[in-house]
Amino acid sequence: MSQAYFPVGPGLGMEENFLSLDDILMSQEKLPGRAESALPRLALGQGGTGSAESVPEGSKLEIPLWLAKGLHDSKRRIISVELPKIYKEAWRTVFSADANVVDLHKMGPYYYGFGSQLLNFDNPENPEIAQILSSVLPVSNSLYRLQTFINRFRRIMDSSQNAYNEDTSALVARLDELERALFQVGQKGLNDFQCWEKGQASQITASSLVQNYGKRKFAEVDG
Amino acid sequence: MEPAEVEFLAEKELVTIVPNFSLDRIHLIGGDLGPFNPGLPVEVPVWLAINLKQRQKCRLIPPDWMDVGKLEEIRDRERKEDTFTPMPSPYYMELTKLLLNYASDNIPKADEIRTLVKDTWDTRVAKLRLSADSFVRQQEVHAKLDNLTLMEINTTGTFLTQALDHMYKLRTNLQPGQSTQSQDF
Repeated sequence: MSQAYFPVGPGLGMEENFLSLDDILMSQEKLPGRAESALPRLALGQGGTGSAESVPEGSKLEIPLWLAKGLHDSKRRIISVELPKIYKEAWRTVFSADANVVDLHKMGPYYYGFGSQLLNFDNPENPEIAQILSSVLPVSNSLYRLQTFINRFRRIMDSSQNAYNEDTSALVARLDELERALFQVGQKGLNDFQCWEKGQASQITASSLVQNYGKRKFAEVDG
Repeated sequence: MEPAEVEFLAEKELVTIVPNFSLDRIHLIGGDLGPFNPGLPVEVPVWLAINLKQRQKCRLIPPDWMDVGKLEEIRDRERKEDTFTPMPSPYYMELTKLLLNYASDNIPKADEIRTLVKDTWDTRVAKLRLSADSFVRQQEVHAKLDNLTLMEINTTGTFLTQALDHMYKLRTNLQPGQSTQSQDF
């Protein structure tokens, strides 16, 4: 069944894929920000009491990425966006020290995709943000993010290909969604090969759909 | 691509059999085979050899390289060198498996051959993993892998290309960002 199902994959670039479920979930993640101007009649969304109240200028907001992207404009200063702390310098130092010890699933779970999307907020209109972001984000951050990926590559490859026959559940729990997909691809390659080697590939078995169908029928008869 | 599909391609390789029946030359789409005479060696594709063997119509002659001495030499050279060494057959893994599974009674020292080929395979796969790691670490964009066989490429191929694809995207991420920046200025 999985062969005839072609889900839209995540974009992982500056633009997400419109129909990718992973990217939609990723853009739900909250981003710390600040209202640069008053936002009338929106206080309810931020935990205010009355529907007529406005969000005052300068108040701290936690907004999902998709909304932040929509409101973020280089001409009109509606909101300003701050870096989440896992993309700030302190954490980047940790990543560059040893990327393998970091639990990217807890940090993420879309660490790479979300970080790539953050590059969108590189805003030359606001000199301060531009200075912070351009000195922090586009150059060093993507370099660090790439380094994270490179440093974790070997572990993912080895464990997905089962090179040491180690228990991989502890590692998988700490993988970012992107890395998990990669891990599964690696394991499939090895499993397919081993099945072939054992001669299981040449045996014809009932498809899982048919098997489940049979089970359901029996269950209905029983009930 | 699945291992079974790689095996399908491997079954086109030619092996020598000694038939125990007689048959005129047969004309197949991929080429003519035969004539088959009892006791006379003739070259046929692996798929036909296995089929005839299963019907007990022939005896199989192992390929030259399927020999303990030669395989030991290949294994030792593989361990000594950093790069991949040429293999005796582009489908050595598949042929070993097929011939040993269906015609092990015609191949001397079948168990030793199985172990030697498996050792060679393990060495090569470990080497492949090592070189993939340094390839990623140095952020290279191209590599030359002359002596890898299709089965070896196929087991790690999807994983490696997907990882490199992610890496490419993460690396080029910042370029469109820079170009829009320069447009705004």
